[in-house]
Amino acid sequence: MEQIGVILLAGLTNGSVYGLVGLSISLIYGTNRVINFAQGEFVMLGVMSAILFMVTLHLPTWAAIGAILIVAILAALVLELGVYQPLMRRGAAPLTIMIGTLAAAIIASGIALLIWGPLQLAVPNVFSLQALNLGPLVTNAQQLAIIGVFAGLLLVTWYLMYRTPFGLCIRATGVNARVASLMGIRADRVVRFGFIFSALVSGIVGILIGPLLGGQVGMGVTLTVKGFMAAILGGLGSPFAAAAGGVMIAVVEALVAGYGSSLYAEPIIFSLILAMLFFRPYGLLGDFEAGRR
Amino acid sequence: MKNANTVRSMLGGPALILLIGALVPLLLTSGFHLRLVSIICIYTILCTGFNLLYGYAGQISMGQQGFFALGAYGFTLLMATAGWSFSAALPAALVICAVVALLIGIPLLRLRSHYLAMATLCFGLVFAGVASRWIEFTGGTAGMMVPSLKFAGHIVSRTELYYALLLLMVLVLLLQNFIVSTHMGRALMSLRGDETAAQSLGVNVTAWKLRIFVLSAVLAGLAGIASALVSRQVNPSFSEFPILVSILTIAVVGGLGTRYGALLGACVVVIAPQGLTAFGESETVIYGVCLLLFLMFMPHGLSGLFPTLFRRLRRKAVAPAIGAAQAGEAKP
Repeated sequence: MEQIGVILLAGLTNGSVYGLVGLSISLIYGTNRVINFAQGEFVMLGVMSAILFMVTLHLPTWAAIGAILIVAILAALVLELGVYQPLMRRGAAPLTIMIGTLAAAIIASGIALLIWGPLQLAVPNVFSLQALNLGPLVTNAQQLAIIGVFAGLLLVTWYLMYRTPFGLCIRATGVNARVASLMGIRADRVVRFGFIFSALVSGIVGILIGPLLGGQVGMGVTLTVKGFMAAILGGLGSPFAAAAGGVMIAVVEALVAGYGSSLYAEPIIFSLILAMLFFRPYGLLGDFEAGRR
Repeated sequence: MKNANTVRSMLGGPALILLIGALVPLLLTSGFHLRLVSIICIYTILCTGFNLLYGYAGQISMGQQGFFALGAYGFTLLMATAGWSFSAALPAALVICAVVALLIGIPLLRLRSHYLAMATLCFGLVFAGVASRWIEFTGGTAGMMVPSLKFAGHIVSRTELYYALLLLMVLVLLLQNFIVSTHMGRALMSLRGDETAAQSLGVNVTAWKLRIFVLSAVLAGLAGIASALVSRQVNPSFSEFPILVSILTIAVVGGLGTRYGALLGACVVVIAPQGLTAFGESETVIYGVCLLLFLMFMPHGLSGLFPTLFRRLRRKAVAPAIGAAQAGEAKP
């Protein structure tokens, strides 16, 4: 009984991370139909700049967090102005833009390699890593903070998307950017907001997950892919479906690793996704998105 | 359709490539250079399959590196562990690739664009994970050694292996040209344009998607086997991310949906890093920047530079219809 609690808690922690990356990917996809392959690199930048600001420069925690978020916003602007806009202006297909964001991911990890080197680095923790007994469960503040932030960001995203006029603009742009522009919505700003907001979410994920994963410049790809798997499983159409997909994947992963061997975790998740695609090709919670071009 | 001009455009390029390729070893001095040209052949085979699938049929697969490794592992396990002969292990490994492609293709090919890309990417990553962690069977991260080939007691040298690869590559290019210039190519290109329209014109969309997916998987497997033979080993890096990045770079740099884009791209991707090693650690950054610049400023890749030139030359010699047909082909 205690074991399953610990496993589920670990699953929920990882699930929060996968879910937030999936949510970020789905948010950008929702505004401009582009899959951002550099999403995991935002997390990596968050983790690595946490090392830079907290360890190398000895900034106080609040200043460091601010600086990390500024790095994330700058990275998002570089991606949007340097990769997305030029390709869009040349009329590139969404898949070409996706390969463009892949190029951006390669550049980001290349630059990070130059700055931080290839080794795995320890990341300072914002919250305490001390063991904490919560009823029968053993956890720590960092783990709880990740889950709490996950819930908080879901709530913020939901409020923004469904309870504000700007959220209506976001959703309208997602349905049809051209028609939205005709209605006076500045679709380009909505897209830019999508990039910045998702980079902020990823930066926050980076600050929180760094102490648990350790910082390594190649970590972005794995996170991007986990985020995609989450988005596919849940359905790319809605950020919340993607977040739910992330939790599902991580819980299955934790259960398989806990009761069997981690060797089987990925093949089992993949088979699950395959089987799911067979019956619901647009994701468990999505409906029409994958059918459109 | 099958007039003399079509046949000439189908055979001309591969014949020229065969001629140039056959002369290359005479000009090379070191074994390292021979290895590079062998790798160019391997990448060309791999990316020809990807080009047929994505460039012509518009179905993206980001799991080609999985099939690449599947071919290599299947072949090596059958030959080294199970003790099969080369002539039995080679077709058996290709059949394994085809069967796996068929099995995962049936559910996956219901998806389009991003979903297909991500789902196939999952396959590639899962394969990489299994290959590196199922240590008893695959040798883990260290991989396995591939015994050198023997025919009737004679050990196949690297030069002979290169000639075999060259011939194989030319055959693959011929196959591609044949597919592209017949009704099959039209069917594939109609998928890229609009599936609903293709279906209403009588193209069996599901069947064609599955066929081209299996063919590209088999070509990737073939390239993987060749790679195992050239590097004399297989390891999980065969199925890892850099191979996928190479495939995409070759396709973009060479030009998607063009007949010789895979070869052009492979030449650049194999030879350029030799110059980039001088930059040391900044190699990755330069690689990414180049990929991005190609995407922005040369969306049709290197092949995009030639068609206008070719068409002008051709138009003087043969009927303009050929030029128009090729222009239609080069459109992404």
